Amino acid sequence: MYTNFSAAGCMDNLSPLSQFEVRDLINIDTPVLLNLHISITNIGFYLTIGAFFLLVVNLLSTNYNKLVSNNWSISMESLYATIHSIVTNQINPKNGQIYFPFIYTLFIFILINNLIGMVPYSFASTSHFVLTFALSFTIVIGATILGFQKHGLKFFSLLVPAGCPLGLLPLLVLIEFISYLARNISLGLRLAANITAGHMLLHILSGFTYTIMSSGFVFFLLGLIPLSFIVAFSGLELAIAVIQAQVFVVLTSSYIKDGLDLH
Amino acid sequence: MPQLVPFYFVNEITFTFAIIAINVYILSKYILPRFVRLFLSRTFISKLLDNSINK
Repeated sequence: MYTNFSAAGCMDNLSPLSQFEVRDLINIDTPVLLNLHISITNIGFYLTIGAFFLLVVNLLSTNYNKLVSNNWSISMESLYATIHSIVTNQINPKNGQIYFPFIYTLFIFILINNLIGMVPYSFASTSHFVLTFALSFTIVIGATILGFQKHGLKFFSLLVPAGCPLGLLPLLVLIEFISYLARNISLGLRLAANITAGHMLLHILSGFTYTIMSSGFVFFLLGLIPLSFIVAFSGLELAIAVIQAQVFVVLTSSYIKDGLDLH
Repeated sequence: MPQLVPFYFVNEITFTFAIIAINVYILSKYILPRFVRLFLSRTFISKLLDNSINK
């Protein structure tokens, strides 16, 4: 009976999805104000830490306005140059630059939150679909409003591929329209699904390795093999954290470009 | 999936948008212009240097 109970307890603790649970850290129930439940949750806490970290790193990297760079400023200046080249290549070398502060913030926000998620016992904020969908829907709707503002009803020409035969036009417009709507989902889903999958994989592998290594001396040695896989996958996850932030930003720039230039 | 508990959706979205808005404001008003000034002064100094070498 005791064994069953402890096994069930263990299984609860070892659920790979438990790491994504949102918990209240501080909460206030306000029966006076429409029963609002105002709370600081773990995701809010880690997002705030990320924002603070972002600002501190950026302030450190300005290097007191000295012309000669230090290590912080070299790293941030190269990040600046990378995002700047993405914005100028994807959107427009001249007019695209007004979107640079937004794209830069978005990149560092996603990157820092992805990296914070890689710290053991912390929380991966970007694995939450609501967060990434909120970003992706806002970006795509914003780009659509931008397109309508600039081109009016001509914006719908975005749905007509160049040089398509007239007979195929209704079908192609329908397909293009569906693919335009799918951008909302795909942009957010890609980021959250990648982060969720990576964290779950690491969690499952860690549980497996722990079980093997705690079973005896021979198994401890045997467990070094899956342990090496965990180290390798952690490196892969670090790379994915950077790549996903970059992919998100590149696609955001390309959607803004579509709204501005219509293909 | 714990990510799909609707109770915390408003909390997550509020935090996300508040933090991104604050960050965009601070970066675009205070931090990114410092980078641009730094790059401009480097360009200016290197051009001065080129001119002095050509003379």
